[in-house]
Amino acid sequence: MKLDCKHIWRELSNYLEGEVSEEVRRDVEAHVAQCRHCAALLDSTHNVLVLVADERRMDLPIGFNSRLRERLEREMSISGPE
Amino acid sequence: MADQQGAKKEKEYRLIDSVLAGNREDFHELIAPYRRGVYLTAYDVLQVEADAEDVAQEAFLKAFRALRSFRRESQFSTWLFRIAINEARMKLRKRREVPLETLFPDEDSENSDYTPMMLKDWREIPSEALLNEETRRLVRESIAQLPEKYREVLTLRDVNGKNIAETSEILGISIGNTKVRLLRARLMLRDIFVERTQRKPRQQTPRGVSP
Repeated sequence: MKLDCKHIWRELSNYLEGEVSEEVRRDVEAHVAQCRHCAALLDSTHNVLVLVADERRMDLPIGFNSRLRERLEREMSISGPE
Repeated sequence: MADQQGAKKEKEYRLIDSVLAGNREDFHELIAPYRRGVYLTAYDVLQVEADAEDVAQEAFLKAFRALRSFRRESQFSTWLFRIAINEARMKLRKRREVPLETLFPDEDSENSDYTPMMLKDWREIPSEALLNEETRRLVRESIAQLPEKYREVLTLRDVNGKNIAETSEILGISIGNTKVRLLRARLMLRDIFVERTQRKPRQQTPRGVSP
């Protein structure tokens, strides 16, 4: 089956997840090999997601852990879990 | 991998039992692996450091108080993140943000397509531009510009690295809806990001909305 651009867009997210069947994967790859629009879309979306994943390394605010601990300890000294 | 997961779960259950038996301070150990993730989730929903810290603290306190009601049908972290997302949503309600949702079609229906923006040259985002501080700021701002429900799904899956099943459980929506929402979130984010990187420097269009 040949996929048109709309189909590619619909599968794009699943494709990036590696969550498409072998057949769909081949169709997507065949399509982007000859459609530079979809190729650019796929690449740029992938790149943005790499950047987003980088956010994971963002630092916690300084003192976050100790403030949290303090607040929890205050709670714990009052009462336990209901 | 499966064994590791199992061992982790067992350890968590042991800690939960211990907390419930009166060793309250074991709660610190129980939540230690999730402090960063819960904070990041709150931050991505709220976009303000102080608010995110409040919400994260509040979520951990709630989890502590409600620990007995954790049913052990889902993972502890799933339960915890659900509390955090709900806290963040409540905070957001209070703040009443400008509804950006109107910019984008709103249903999650399986057949409603999102059409990615057609750029004149469709150029890729140049990969050498990707690592500087400016770019990271742009990413953060672009995430901030997503409508709330897309920001949530993207934060859980793409920032926190939760899998689709966990993400759908935390959000309380079906796997199918999670995938559709995620697809849109990713395409929208890319559009917003590309649009921002191509904008002339120092130009200040309010919220980056195209004319």
